[in-house]
Amino acid sequence: MPVPEWPNARRGLDAYDLSGRRALVIGAAASVGRAIALALAEAGADLALTTVTTDGEEAMALRKTARAVRELGRAAVEQVVDASLGTGVQVMVRQVTKELGRIDALVNAPVASAESFGRPATKVSDAEWAKVIARHLSATFFACRAVGREMLKSDAGGRIINVASALGERGLPDASAYCAAQGGVLNLTRALAQEWAPRGITVNAIALGWMEDSPALGDPTPEANRTVRFIPMKRVGRPDEVGPLAVYLASQASGYVSGQVLFVDGGLTVHL
Amino acid sequence: MLDRLRLDGKAAVVTGAGRGLGQQMALALAEAGADVVCAARTASQIEATAEAVRALGRRAVAVPADVRDSAQCDALVRACVDAFGRIDVMLSNAGIGDARGHSRELWDVSDEDWRDTLDVNLSSAFYCARAASRAMIERGEGGAIINVASGTALRAYTLNFAYGAAKAGVIALTKTLAVLLQRHDIRANCIIPGFVSQRPARGEEELAMFGARGRYIPAQRLGEAWELGPLAVYLASEASSYVTGQGFIIDGGGLAGGLAPLGGEKREAR
Repeated sequence: MPVPEWPNARRGLDAYDLSGRRALVIGAAASVGRAIALALAEAGADLALTTVTTDGEEAMALRKTARAVRELGRAAVEQVVDASLGTGVQVMVRQVTKELGRIDALVNAPVASAESFGRPATKVSDAEWAKVIARHLSATFFACRAVGREMLKSDAGGRIINVASALGERGLPDASAYCAAQGGVLNLTRALAQEWAPRGITVNAIALGWMEDSPALGDPTPEANRTVRFIPMKRVGRPDEVGPLAVYLASQASGYVSGQVLFVDGGLTVHL
Repeated sequence: MLDRLRLDGKAAVVTGAGRGLGQQMALALAEAGADVVCAARTASQIEATAEAVRALGRRAVAVPADVRDSAQCDALVRACVDAFGRIDVMLSNAGIGDARGHSRELWDVSDEDWRDTLDVNLSSAFYCARAASRAMIERGEGGAIINVASGTALRAYTLNFAYGAAKAGVIALTKTLAVLLQRHDIRANCIIPGFVSQRPARGEEELAMFGARGRYIPAQRLGEAWELGPLAVYLASEASSYVTGQGFIIDGGGLAGGLAPLGGEKREAR
């Protein structure tokens, strides 16, 4: 029996090729957002990169990411934006769409901040709660909404990747607002996946375990850290270990994967 | 980055490689650089897959095997080590969704139907993982185990509950393998396909039938067997170095929803 020919099949490394694709990475200044931006660029994508706050240091770090992307031979548009403000995000997405021509993929990668952890629920103020929800959940929704509008208008399908945390699926003491926001991101992902699947837009989340720069973790060496020894792989993850999954999810090869939460966590969420 | 997805110099065993998903995954691994042992019961089918692997410039051997028999699973791993000097990837894809007991009433499923369905769909994954991990540990360079489960493991599957139960076992097995084998640098993950067509539609009538089935899926289409290939390469390669114990669902969005019926009015498919 001959091997069947699939007309649309993409195999080998061509499957992950992003040449000619354009992606917007929100939160590309540091950590996983930066690593994903570089991985997308290495796979051939041109990029728009943004901060998540208007903080000067973050803006400087974003320039470094943009420079690294250009060194890979790809275009990099930079924007400083407060991602927790819906109108600002909408304006930014319009502008970026004009500059890049279109957006094929959106990556939301806000970085966790230290103040989200070590906060007993009884001590969390209204303002603190609102800030964490705004930064992690609302920001993700605003970006998905703005980019979703463009993707639906162009009717060429698209890819949305929300970088979230394993804390969206499980509880952790003294991190109630962050857990709630992350849980919101995961189910927002599922809801948007349902809504936009008929239009060829996939929406997925990458849920991170303990990473080498997780603010809640402290010293990431296994000798010093009980939490790290608790991870089946006995080590923390590196941001660059997230890049290839983002490339896969941004590529044409992942068109039948949607509404999923994919854990990059060294086995953290599977053991008893 | 893309280099981390390459499998050059690595050797893989793929069960159920004679057709459909297994065949496409075997070819994807080969295109990424791996040499492949192609296993299934029907010799002519795996020979065709092996030939296609060789056409891609990789080495291939076709080994007929019934994975219900652990000795034959051991022999597959031995064949891989004999032919290629190593085994880096064990892809347990063999399974039968519509064999014994399919579409029968609960009370009409015999002990034999139940046992055979568990043997071919669950025990096979255990036998292959046991055999492959032994060889991987002996060599000391780690490896990747990839099991193939099914969306029927995660929701009621009234057409064949034994199959759903077996595949749920595969998911649980994968999690434990991941934790047990991580200290040997062996990762274990699972691919969980939803409705995926094994081959392209033949003729207009079948095309229409596939299209009609697709309307019950959020993506408004069935998956295509080749779409499992890039996912298998990701899980087999260094690109997934911090991923273990996971189930990767590839189902057009079905399992993330399912709270309201689809497929009522005709929607534009894309």
